[in-house]
Amino acid sequence: MREAMPAKRHGGLRQPWGTITAFLLPALTVYAAFTAYPAFRTLWNSFHKVLPRREEFIGLANYTELLQDEIFWRAVRNTITWACISPLVEVTVALLLALALYARIPGARFFRIAWFTPVLMSYIVVGILWVWIYNYDWGPINVALRALGLGGLARAWLGDPDTALPALIFITSWMWVGFNMVVLLAALHSLPKEVIEAAELDNCGWGAKLVFVVLPLVRATLLNLVVLSFIGKMKIFDLVWITTKGGPLWATETVSTYVYKRAFEWTTFDLGYPSTIATLWFVIVLGAVLALTRAFRLREKLEY
Amino acid sequence: MLAFLARLTLAVVGLSVLTGPTHAQQKELTLWTHWAAEQIKRDYVEAAIREFETKNPAIKIKPTWYEKTALYAALKTALRAGQAPDLFYAEPDQVEYMENGFLLDLSDLNWAAIEPWAKQAWTYKGKPYGFPLEAWTVELYYNRKMMEELGVAVPAALQLTPDAFLDLVKKAKAKGWTPMALGVGDRPFPGAHLTHEALLKKLGTEDYDKLLKGKLAWTDPRVVDTLKYVRSLTAAGLLPATFTSLKLGEAHTYFHTNPRALMFLNGSWYTSRAFNAPDKGGQPVDFALGIMKFPNVPGAACADCRTIAVGGSYVGNADTKHKKEVIAFLNSFATVEKGNEWLAKVQVQSGIKSDPAKLTGKAADYFKMIAATNAGATYYFGIPIQVMQGKPKEVFTQIINNAFPAGSIGVEDAAKQLQAAAN
Repeated sequence: MREAMPAKRHGGLRQPWGTITAFLLPALTVYAAFTAYPAFRTLWNSFHKVLPRREEFIGLANYTELLQDEIFWRAVRNTITWACISPLVEVTVALLLALALYARIPGARFFRIAWFTPVLMSYIVVGILWVWIYNYDWGPINVALRALGLGGLARAWLGDPDTALPALIFITSWMWVGFNMVVLLAALHSLPKEVIEAAELDNCGWGAKLVFVVLPLVRATLLNLVVLSFIGKMKIFDLVWITTKGGPLWATETVSTYVYKRAFEWTTFDLGYPSTIATLWFVIVLGAVLALTRAFRLREKLEY
Repeated sequence: MLAFLARLTLAVVGLSVLTGPTHAQQKELTLWTHWAAEQIKRDYVEAAIREFETKNPAIKIKPTWYEKTALYAALKTALRAGQAPDLFYAEPDQVEYMENGFLLDLSDLNWAAIEPWAKQAWTYKGKPYGFPLEAWTVELYYNRKMMEELGVAVPAALQLTPDAFLDLVKKAKAKGWTPMALGVGDRPFPGAHLTHEALLKKLGTEDYDKLLKGKLAWTDPRVVDTLKYVRSLTAAGLLPATFTSLKLGEAHTYFHTNPRALMFLNGSWYTSRAFNAPDKGGQPVDFALGIMKFPNVPGAACADCRTIAVGGSYVGNADTKHKKEVIAFLNSFATVEKGNEWLAKVQVQSGIKSDPAKLTGKAADYFKMIAATNAGATYYFGIPIQVMQGKPKEVFTQIINNAFPAGSIGVEDAAKQLQAAAN
């Protein structure tokens, strides 16, 4: 009897294909239809001129054109600048705010809500809000500058090619700091108390405790936040579309806005070229994320 | 009970036999159209639909109102998927529709009631594809009271010389006024009016056409000279500091209400916003509107050259199953009466032939001013972004609509970049 039971269980595990298929099929179908097929189709399109009712194989012609497309490279430069600066600003400021809350500063509960609130708003609302804030005539920034006698510094922040991109980077940082702060605060609260106490018993100062104990312990969280922010900025579209549509003079053009323009605003129905941009950009983003993950990888497992 | 059920069944069957054919014969045409937020135009089209349905009870028109951007995005996917409506809004620059065979050939339309130039704007490879409801010219509006206060008299010919116009800009600026309300915050063309009207006068229609089609270099000395003249105007403070972020609707209000500007360069569809009630964004009741010609430019080849464009139009879907009904509906607009009705209600020019002499009231005064500025004009059909395609169009929009008038790019650099895109 004892021998028979395992044999039966073993046989049952060997042939549950019907059950496995029944459970996997819905998810696989959805995945195949809405992820795998569009991804494959985009790659396929990139080698074709894709017009309604006809397709024409053109080999690498789209890629050759893309490599010489100055607007695309400007968009790449802007997007990479954004994706490199924003995560650093967001995570650094978020860490400082999280530490302040962790140290239970006065009004901590209020600040936690206040700092987190921007991320609850959509990019559309945030975009409109900041277009007002950056307004040349009556936006609070310029009004404040004039009140301080610094009217010479007042400018159309989103209309000047020199300031438009930094102004947008500031908006995304303002928006996402709160989210990063909450995640880091959770990470700080889950730190092993005995390690912190041991450091304090060893007369470890505030700075040393932060650098040698806290940061290494939250390193994995920091890495995840940086990667998440990086990926988010590499795909950014809505804020740019609402505020500047990529202008002035392509100063805020991102790869996503350029793909959209080429697909829907370029007086053509061809989907081949926009697919080429999307394919190349996918490869660049994937490579960058892998490189980032490798760079931040923990060389040795922390033990405490 | 059985007898009652039998009678009921007979009655239902009988009723359906009587009414069935009417419903089965009634054809529904779908129409996707812009102007969701432009009530005057919407009222005009809705009235035309009601009128058409009354005369043709077997046909029902089902309109769906959109804002332009959303409409264009929806049409791009719907046309590709074969799900597009029978009729839809389009503008003549959307050549991709014609290139890909999406539009119904409208040769059977009553073209005798349409202005020849408007038909020409919609002609592609010898066939007409669009019904040109709306047409417009680029007009230079001004505030008469402010002009008087400045002590400047607009000449009888309604056109200032290049120097007089530059002087006007300087005088207005010295008084602390914004000389010209203009903004490119949400449109790819208002800022370009300044340069393309100047270029058209400088080059004349033939060479201007060559320039837009890449057959004349942007580095041509005449082009560069004109850009320099335009730069002298913007450098003198012609435009508001908010030029790059000011939206079209806001630019209207900027001109006539708050803070007020001396002039406003805009399509003649100014009326569709400004002639609304003041609490709905219209100009003040006592506003003294004047219109003058765009100033001449140094060394102009054609001082009377100006742009006329066909705007909002209706087209038929090439795949419609109701071709005759589509033509019949569009033909219902093609009468001088409907043209006059468009002028009177919408107060913008139309591609439909009309008789402005029959207009009365506010519309009549407005069209008298428009007629005066257009007297003796030589027209070029279409604004540059309706003529240019692809990369040259994108570069033109970024530079000539935005960065150049904003002063973010110099004359030589602008010409160089435009030429590089045209090559």
